Amino acid sequence: MNFGFSEEQRDVQNLARSILSDLVSPEKLKPTDRYENERFDEELWGKLAEAGLLGVAIDEAHGGMGFGFMELSLLVEEAGRTIAPVPVIPALVSAALPLQKFGSDEQKARLLPGVASGKSLLTAALMEEQNENPAAPLLTKASKQGEGYTVSGVKLCVPFAHRAERILLSAQTDQGVVALLVDPKASGVTLNAMKVTTYEPQFELVLDKVAVAAEDVLAGPDKGAEVMQWLSERTMAALCAHQVGTTDVAMRMTASYTAERKQFGVPVATFQAVGHRAANCFIDVECLRLNTYQAVSRLSGGLNATNEVQIAKIWAGDVGHRVSYASQHLHGGMGIDRDYPLWRYCTWMRHNEMMLGSSAKTLSDLGKRIAAGEAFCS
Amino acid sequence: MKVEFTPEQEALRSELRAYFDELMTPELAAECDRDMGEGGGPLWREALLKMGKDGWIGVGWPKELGGRGMSPIEQFIFVEEIMRAGYPFPFLTTESVGPQLAEHGNEWQKKNIVPKILTGECLIAIGYSEPGAGTDLARLKTTAVKDGDEWVINGQKMWTSLAHFCDYVWLACRTEENEAKPHRGISMFLVPTSDPGWSATPVNTLGGVRTNATYYDNIRVSDDAMVGELNGGWKLITGQLNRERLSLVNCGPTQHLFNMVVKWAQQTDLPQGGKLIDQDWVQMNLAKVRAGVEALKLVCYKQAWAMSEGALEMADASAAKVYGSEFFIEVYRALGEVIGQFSTVSRHSDNAQELAAKIERMYRTASIITFGGGTNEIQRDIISAAGLWMPRAAR
Repeated sequence: MNFGFSEEQRDVQNLARSILSDLVSPEKLKPTDRYENERFDEELWGKLAEAGLLGVAIDEAHGGMGFGFMELSLLVEEAGRTIAPVPVIPALVSAALPLQKFGSDEQKARLLPGVASGKSLLTAALMEEQNENPAAPLLTKASKQGEGYTVSGVKLCVPFAHRAERILLSAQTDQGVVALLVDPKASGVTLNAMKVTTYEPQFELVLDKVAVAAEDVLAGPDKGAEVMQWLSERTMAALCAHQVGTTDVAMRMTASYTAERKQFGVPVATFQAVGHRAANCFIDVECLRLNTYQAVSRLSGGLNATNEVQIAKIWAGDVGHRVSYASQHLHGGMGIDRDYPLWRYCTWMRHNEMMLGSSAKTLSDLGKRIAAGEAFCS
Repeated sequence: MKVEFTPEQEALRSELRAYFDELMTPELAAECDRDMGEGGGPLWREALLKMGKDGWIGVGWPKELGGRGMSPIEQFIFVEEIMRAGYPFPFLTTESVGPQLAEHGNEWQKKNIVPKILTGECLIAIGYSEPGAGTDLARLKTTAVKDGDEWVINGQKMWTSLAHFCDYVWLACRTEENEAKPHRGISMFLVPTSDPGWSATPVNTLGGVRTNATYYDNIRVSDDAMVGELNGGWKLITGQLNRERLSLVNCGPTQHLFNMVVKWAQQTDLPQGGKLIDQDWVQMNLAKVRAGVEALKLVCYKQAWAMSEGALEMADASAAKVYGSEFFIEVYRALGEVIGQFSTVSRHSDNAQELAAKIERMYRTASIITFGGGTNEIQRDIISAAGLWMPRAAR
């Protein structure tokens, strides 16, 4: 057992932190507020690629650094610390990782080098209306068409779909769930922009008898659900890592602000009621951080991590919610003033809370596992 | 970063689990239950001596002190397993005072006290609080006055838990009046409870657990009894408390209790058909406990690891204590809800159910450590100051 970072892990963390803190600032984020400009920093994406960070978990054979999910999660955490306007989770976790794990040699050679070099983007469509489980799609159907498939249905909140070379998604067939790589420019694909509070570019993806060639089938009905479950757990863990970054920064911003802000002639941080609410955030963030690192560590080591991922996601939802409101409250009006940087963190904390299942939903899922005897304490 | 145990640590845990399964005979369990989970009975003492002889109490201690030379992580695994087994382990002695004595004790203490702690032959209670000094501990009034070669100790302590069967009290005494900086006039002593000037009266608590008021009437001790430097007691107190806080919130018993309640709910029939655990609200309660205990486990493990690196952070120790103590209260409530109204039926009732009665009592004892071991308000002050660099109010 070791809670410290290896030298390589610290290198990844430091490199990411230095690039992100140099290139992301409230001034640079401001023009993307309210969709006035697209929330995507191409220069930053290019710099991350140049530094090798986009390929941190991509094999060297495909232009990456060949590290694992732990190192990638540290990049995601740093992206959370700055709420960087780049698609680290959709592209690098939800799409590139399963492609590398389950893709054919041809698929990997065709699609992964572009991700590592920043020249092309991948994304994943994980959500349907009232269905947040991509391993069991209900509103997207596919049928066999030669060696490929024809797919129809609707996915929601698909990040960066307009820029993606391929969109990884699941569909139900008569034989089971398949995982497909859909070209957003293919005939029958419609992208309708959705406006979400983080200002991340997201889309409703409408598929009307879209042809998917054999070369773009990632997994057939024998393996599709497994692939989607695999990537779903990693995406959940990555959302938790992002939440570690956002909550830690929001909490520390609050601690600094209350240490400076004076009322009754003293810093408001000296009021016990203020200090204690901040202390609760500290405990919360530590619990989230440790549960996240545990989930990531197990996933990196190839161990079963379903319970640990669910538990981390429950904490990510609860802690995001509590830290968001404690931070806003302890800042007084400043916390909600759009000229002060906190509010943007609050929308991202909410995003991380809600994506792939809220705390209530995930508690219910964990509860079912407990009832089935699958989640005893060791 | 690798949060999982090594194979050796897993093997140690399995070995300890088997060891304690054998050690906790029904007779010993019954005695511990009778003694309200505090220990002190003859079978309890016998078992402690056996653990000492088998080299477990000091598994994570350096070999030169009589330990097995493993790390604080292995020590933590040992404590987790013993507490999971339901044995009231005297962790205040072994995990908090013991290490302080090993580090700061004098030759006499290292020769006569430390080895006996590791063999299970010496038990030590903590004497800090007084009728007029609780959270503001530095205002304590029990005095140690030098008289020739000896120290003469007079005063009264409160909440001296376990003292009625301990050999010594780790006693905080005033050795110098210092009105401006009262914590600078405090020294630590090991005071024998066998001294005729020592006495205790019981204080009975809501949870049925006995604690004590203890009295110190002209007790004479030599310099051998002083721990650390004259007027240097405060850092020994805070060091001891940091270690105590981690032991207080050990996750072993809760993990075990959770597993027992899950099994019980899986087996228990509902009169309308189906099992108790089929109900959504039961699953939600259990899931909340499961998610919470996982965090507690990790908070504890991280600190055991930090100790092995020599880097235990004060804010982390306080965070563990606040989180764990407040979580336990919610655990007993949530698991008690699953049990239903039977979780108010005492173990003395004719138709008592073992698991329900256990939770019934734990619910009554749960508040002790939200204020014991340093009240949670002070812990939160420490967290905001040491963990978040927020300025503190003058007091």
